[in-house]
Amino acid sequence: MVMGKRNSVIVLSSDDENDGTTCSLSGSNSYAKSKSRSTSSRRKKKARLSGSRSRSSKDSSKLYEINELGEDFNEVFTGFNVSAAGTHRNHSGELWVHKHKPHFLEELAVHKKKVEEVKMWFEKRLKPSQGISSSNVLLITGQAGVGKSAAVHVISSHLGAILCEWNTPTPVIWQEHLHNSSSGTQYISKLDEFETYVERIRKYGLLSTYLNGESKAPIIVLIDDLPTTNGKAAFGRLQDCLHLLVRSTQIPTVIVFTDYGNSDSADHDAQCLEKIQLSLQSAGACKIAFNPITANSIKKALFRICQLEQCNVSAEQVDLIAKASGGDIRHAITSLQFFCLERNQVHSLSLSSNFLSVSREKEKKSSNFLSVSKEKEKKAITLDDGYSLHFSRDETLSLFHALGKFLHNKREFESTTKYEHDTFLIRERFVRLPLKMDVPEKILCHAHVQPGPVADFLHENVLDFMNEEAIDDASIVSSYLGDADILLAKLRGMASRYNEAEGVLPSAAASVAVRGVLFGNSHTLSARWHAVRGPKLWGVERESLYNKNKMLKQRVAEFEGLTSCNASVIATEYIPVSKWIGNRARGEYHESPQLLADDLDMDGIDFDQMILDDQENDDEIEDW
Amino acid sequence: MLWVDKYRPKTLDQITVHEDVAQNLKKLVTEQDCPHLLFYGPPGAGKKTLIMALLRQMFGNSAEKVKVENRTWKVDAGSRSIDIELTTLASANHIEMSPSDAGFQDRYVVQEIIKEMAKNRPIDTKGKKGFKVLLLNEVDKLSREAQHSLRRTMEKYSAYCRLILCCNSSSRVIEAIRSRCLNVRINAPNEEQIVRALDFISKKEDLQLPSGFAARIAEKSNRNLRRAILSLETCRVQQYPFSSKQTIPPMDWEEYISEIASDIMKEQSPKRLFQVRGKLYELLINCIPPEIILKRLLYELLKKLDAELKLEVCHWAAYYEHRMRLGQKAIFHLEAFVAKFMSVYKAFLIATFG
Repeated sequence: MVMGKRNSVIVLSSDDENDGTTCSLSGSNSYAKSKSRSTSSRRKKKARLSGSRSRSSKDSSKLYEINELGEDFNEVFTGFNVSAAGTHRNHSGELWVHKHKPHFLEELAVHKKKVEEVKMWFEKRLKPSQGISSSNVLLITGQAGVGKSAAVHVISSHLGAILCEWNTPTPVIWQEHLHNSSSGTQYISKLDEFETYVERIRKYGLLSTYLNGESKAPIIVLIDDLPTTNGKAAFGRLQDCLHLLVRSTQIPTVIVFTDYGNSDSADHDAQCLEKIQLSLQSAGACKIAFNPITANSIKKALFRICQLEQCNVSAEQVDLIAKASGGDIRHAITSLQFFCLERNQVHSLSLSSNFLSVSREKEKKSSNFLSVSKEKEKKAITLDDGYSLHFSRDETLSLFHALGKFLHNKREFESTTKYEHDTFLIRERFVRLPLKMDVPEKILCHAHVQPGPVADFLHENVLDFMNEEAIDDASIVSSYLGDADILLAKLRGMASRYNEAEGVLPSAAASVAVRGVLFGNSHTLSARWHAVRGPKLWGVERESLYNKNKMLKQRVAEFEGLTSCNASVIATEYIPVSKWIGNRARGEYHESPQLLADDLDMDGIDFDQMILDDQENDDEIEDW
Repeated sequence: MLWVDKYRPKTLDQITVHEDVAQNLKKLVTEQDCPHLLFYGPPGAGKKTLIMALLRQMFGNSAEKVKVENRTWKVDAGSRSIDIELTTLASANHIEMSPSDAGFQDRYVVQEIIKEMAKNRPIDTKGKKGFKVLLLNEVDKLSREAQHSLRRTMEKYSAYCRLILCCNSSSRVIEAIRSRCLNVRINAPNEEQIVRALDFISKKEDLQLPSGFAARIAEKSNRNLRRAILSLETCRVQQYPFSSKQTIPPMDWEEYISEIASDIMKEQSPKRLFQVRGKLYELLINCIPPEIILKRLLYELLKKLDAELKLEVCHWAAYYEHRMRLGQKAIFHLEAFVAKFMSVYKAFLIATFG
């Protein structure tokens, strides 16, 4: 959106000849403090398509300030462009993301069910007949660019409601503040502003104050951007104020949370958001989580845009863009625009061929299981003038997602390997079908995980994903995991001496573990639901260390002095015997050899907490 | 108190099984300064008993006042400092520890503790500077690096402390260390000696021990005196008076492993492998060393196996045992062995029975 045009004020009527949706508006300037904004007419698309402007200003008394009118205009002009000079449409300087915003429910790339869910929620709240419903706050969560705000916009316009947005105030820089302070402007913290805003909508229902009840359209408040908080106190304030909002607001309110991916869950901010979400939910807010958009929906959307823009992008390229976007449609559209732009203007030479060669290269890579090194992969990317992958988003994967890929081990159904590339032939039993995923090392890179844990996780879970009969596979896999373990152990031994070795060895170990699993598990189960567990091994290691110390202490306490035995002797000989004797003496001898774990009580240590809680991995493992 | 502890010889004079060794050691300590010592021999042969008696000979009763400490060392390793936690047994005159418990950081422990001991050396009654004894268990499990660093510190601080090293097999101790120590081989007592020891104990306990039964215990103990005495005690609890046909109860973990073995023989599948893993974890939690698990498991499997497979299975056991030493997480390799066995055995079954 072009900011310069944003503030233009236009008078126009809400003519009723079109599809029921009225023009809506907002008052971002007139109402200085309430930073609310709303979407504009939904008719612009129609207008653009027809290339003519059917709106006429009537002498209506209703004056609306159209906030996004600039955009409207822009669109109209581009619309004219279409009819006038079809070739230049790419240079209108507008982002396609805004230009091709979804305007109808059908255009939303979000999954229909989710849209329906949100719509239902709104309908329930907006129906005047319905009494006070449970809560008027809806939380929408999802990754960046999955169409959270877009969905709200479209649905509200579909329902003919006015959408008021909390507009994040521009942050004040320190210099600016110094400059302003001389002129007497006081600094207001953004959190304060937000608080007063929330307070107002909560108490007075906000819009009635400046809409003067003129519009009968229902109002929806959208809070898209929560102020950042620093420190516990500020966070507490934000939480309290939102909590109050959930409890008492009368207007349907949507709060949009952006998940930053679970991989960075150590991040403090993400944790805060998580906390807020939970507290709001417990206060009665309804939560709808948006999943990343599927590659297919993105493709559809991209094709639609391609059609509108009349640009020539092959299906293959669209496919690649869609896949590279990682479920982020905003990113996908921008990539598409960039891609088209690049070819048309900047880089007319051989980009597409380059581009294709990369994709072919990739294919070859994944089919050729034996080509290993990460270095090579990197080279392949950088070789192509750095252009080819400009549009791909730096994808991050959660650990569980990556594990899911490795464990499910999806492969093509038939070998497409062309033997002209491979100068050597592989023996029958070593041949595997090409992988249906990126090079494993790349996935590991994306998942940002330590090699040790990867091996542990794979070890814990891989047996679940194996065919019942395939014990040979199991033995191959476990041998490879053993190799990985040896590599990791080597590293540990000399970590301090050879620092430069630290980088290569663990990634080699992780690579061996992953590839071992992929290679060994040659008779995969058909796709089935499996939960991924956290490694039990960690708990076992801790427990055994704890028991060892305890054993030693006990032994010394019992026989002060002359004991001095090493732990293995105590564990294998003394403990069993004294236990046996103890049981016998108490007359509680059991015929079956119960292991001694129950005797060494675990007081004081909570192992459950140590074992990674694996609730979070539930829907991670599905591949979308 | 268990009989093993109760009837453990306290002084070098009381020792019966390795009498000659004990007398030599006594001479060595009384007549001159004692060198570094390396005791090696199979488990249950009496290494520790000798060492403790030796310490008592050197320091008198004070050697018996031992306390357990769970200490943390801060070690400066190049760019960062590492915390190492280790359990030690210490008296005023000696410290005992198993540095191999620290895993790959064992070499820091060895160096640090010796340096520290050198700093505060005890002064004996005559105002002469004395020395402390550092007793290191399981030296054969130390990494090569640790053994090398041990060698250097041994020379540097030999004025302040004496090392007594104790291990099962001297072949895993590097040549340099072996040559700096007085090597003392403690071989396993033969069955006669074991029977004599058992007789001695039963006399003290006022028990009637049929000679055939004692021989059976001795035979079952695999020339491990400690094991024999423990068995005697369990048998006593199980049934008295003894009958010579009485069964000798096995250790619970051994039974557990034989259960695992029959599990493995019954079914060979990833699912079963997973169950076996659970059981192996159980053993590891109870601190049964993985090498012993592997050894015992092999033993149990061989009992049930066809002769033609034995060679191959032994080969794989050795292979994975070696890898276990190279690696860090024993369960990976234990499981790999089990999987390999399952795979081999299943192929064998299919080949024989179709």
